Amino acid sequence: MALYNFKKIMVVPTSKEFIDITLSKTQRKTPTVVHKHYQIHRIRHFYMRKVKFTQQNYHDRLSQILTDFPKLDDIHPFYADLMNVLYDKDHYKLALGQINIAKNLIDNVSKDYVRLMKYGDSLYRCKQLKRAALGRMCTIMKRQKQSLEYLEQVRQHLSRLPTIDPNTRTLLLCGYPNVGKSSFINKVTRADVEVQPYAFTTKSLFVGHMDYKYLRWQVVDTPGILDHPLEERNTIEMQAITALAHLRSAVLYVMDVSEQCGQTLEQQLELFNNIRPLFANKPLLIVANKCDVKKISELTEEDQKIFADLTAEGISVIETSTLTEEGVMTVKTEACDKLLAHRVDGKMKGKKVHDVLNRLHLAVPAKRDEKARPPFIPEGARIGRKTMEVDAPKRKTERDLEVEMGDDYILDLQKYWDLMNQDEKYDVIPEIWEGHNIADYIDPDIMKEELKVKDEEMQEIRQLAKQIREKRKLKIVCSKDKDVHGPRLPRTVKKVERKTLEKEMGDLGLDMTGKDDSHYAVNARRSRSVGVAKKRKREASVVPTSRTRSQSASRPPRDQSGVRDPKMAKQAKKLMKNQQKDMNRQGKKGEADRHVFDLKPKHLFSGKRKSGTNDHR
Amino acid sequence: MRIEKCYFCSGPVYPGHGTMFVRNDCKTFRFCKSKCLKNFKKKRNPRKTRWTKAFRKASGKELTVDNCLEFEKRRNVAVKYQRELWSKTVEAMRKVEGIKRKRQAQFIFNRLKKGKQLEKEEAISEVKKNIHLIKAPHAGKAKVLEEKMVQKLQEDVEMGDD
Repeated sequence: MALYNFKKIMVVPTSKEFIDITLSKTQRKTPTVVHKHYQIHRIRHFYMRKVKFTQQNYHDRLSQILTDFPKLDDIHPFYADLMNVLYDKDHYKLALGQINIAKNLIDNVSKDYVRLMKYGDSLYRCKQLKRAALGRMCTIMKRQKQSLEYLEQVRQHLSRLPTIDPNTRTLLLCGYPNVGKSSFINKVTRADVEVQPYAFTTKSLFVGHMDYKYLRWQVVDTPGILDHPLEERNTIEMQAITALAHLRSAVLYVMDVSEQCGQTLEQQLELFNNIRPLFANKPLLIVANKCDVKKISELTEEDQKIFADLTAEGISVIETSTLTEEGVMTVKTEACDKLLAHRVDGKMKGKKVHDVLNRLHLAVPAKRDEKARPPFIPEGARIGRKTMEVDAPKRKTERDLEVEMGDDYILDLQKYWDLMNQDEKYDVIPEIWEGHNIADYIDPDIMKEELKVKDEEMQEIRQLAKQIREKRKLKIVCSKDKDVHGPRLPRTVKKVERKTLEKEMGDLGLDMTGKDDSHYAVNARRSRSVGVAKKRKREASVVPTSRTRSQSASRPPRDQSGVRDPKMAKQAKKLMKNQQKDMNRQGKKGEADRHVFDLKPKHLFSGKRKSGTNDHR
Repeated sequence: MRIEKCYFCSGPVYPGHGTMFVRNDCKTFRFCKSKCLKNFKKKRNPRKTRWTKAFRKASGKELTVDNCLEFEKRRNVAVKYQRELWSKTVEAMRKVEGIKRKRQAQFIFNRLKKGKQLEKEEAISEVKKNIHLIKAPHAGKAKVLEEKMVQKLQEDVEMGDD
């Protein structure tokens, strides 16, 4: 629909601007350099390009203007009529027509000059042709100055028109000036129309939106209409008439009972009858406004008769006061209901409904006994319904309170809390206890368990084991400390002292007192006595016979073991000496002495290898 | 305000501490300190990082299934404030905490009992094998042996007499 395009019309430049823009664009976007000595086709092409480019630009922009502006035949008749009222249909069409003609003219100019350019034989000629072409196009544009200005103004006004949807549910307010139409719309919707005591405060149509029965409704406020024939009406009144004529809406004819608007009731009734034909096929409602000043019952007999007549014809008259808000809601609900009913009727009579109706089927449960089973509507829903129909009085908001109390106001959010116990509202609620969130716990069960008893018998064993480990460690340390070099001798080599034996066994718990008669003591005594008298000689011939010493003495020394007689002993000794000859000659300590005193003797490794071997030279 | 749990080490994140990372699938991860965050960025699995609570629970080193642990649970249902309910809850929390601590300690104690058993057996075997390092096998038996010999001699004498 053309509704929203009104805001998207491109800006129409003035003629001077237009020319400037296009020419500068030509200069920027086409090549600029050309020389006399170029080939003629190149020069021609260069200038032709410029002409064509300028023509193209003009053509594009003008076409855009032509397409952007709405065609009066294509849009909704309401808007067409409104535009006619505001901008004059003829003037509008003329302006657009002029633009179109200009476009065609420019095209023709360009065609002609391009054709002529083909016969240009020098740079100067081609250049002049181009100048002429561009000049003519610009002159054409200069002549469009008036049209362009007019169209720009139309565009600006058009984009500011209120977006009235002609097809949706609408309530239309009409009546004399100053009767209270704008106040009504202010009360019912969120619109903020200017309300002033002078007539013709509202000079154009205003739209407000409201909600009723979960639907969106438009409320259109019109400028006041005076009572004179159609031809004498001015633009402002004509807007109202247009709206009345074209919008399919419910009409609310507002009357001023107190005659504060400056017209008597008779005059208002006159007007009503005059514009009656416009109300054909529209649900009508008469709003008797300003009833706080004067009620209908306070009027004279004649005046009351007027209203009685109207009611008799079937048009409902509702008293309202936009000041006290009395009756405003009733008007709203009645008007909306009437319009809805009217629209539904219209749809039912149409053809499209049958498609839908054929598919709908309302299933009603069959009665099985005489028991009445009415629908159950909970109390809350009932109350909700009521508030939908009649707006509940506005609650006092916190903002109102703040404004009232000024500096004393403290924001206390807890006063609205709905707790089981109302006096707990201002409690400080604990959230955390010892690293735990209280919110994570609820009433627990409490259970307990017993601890186990320790075992006591094991203690003794543990102690002994500890002692053992300590003694072992000590022994290991002692043996490491001994630091024995050379081959390890077996225990039997050493002689065991009596004292140490007795001490050790005593430590281990044995009773070592009175052990003089023991075996080891006796043996020790016997061996000692023998050993003192005799001095052990180092003679190979004498084989030791006594075996009174300890084990080590009882074994024969190595140079006598396995030797049968002195002859063999002599031979063995000889062998020994023979073997030792070499070693002794070389000054070695023994078999194992492999020490080389001079690993690299100089005389062997230096000089020329004349005579000699590696071992000697 | 709540005390959150660190995703990595399961420690408490007090208000005003730690960081939160929000992934593109809208899952949030809270961390109590940069150590946890850095480990997370290195894509380490908290169930395999030994110092975290997740590891300890996953490897059975700490109490995991117990009804006293069921009391602390995030409930996504709001409960209206009631003074007595709150005070009772705090009392109950105290008790539950005490029991929970005891039970956790008991669990660890039971876990280490096997070790004590093994120690006991080791001590016994130690004593059996190496008692000779401290005490000679016949310590204290010499006297008994002597007495026995004396007794025997006496008997012989008596026999001889007879």
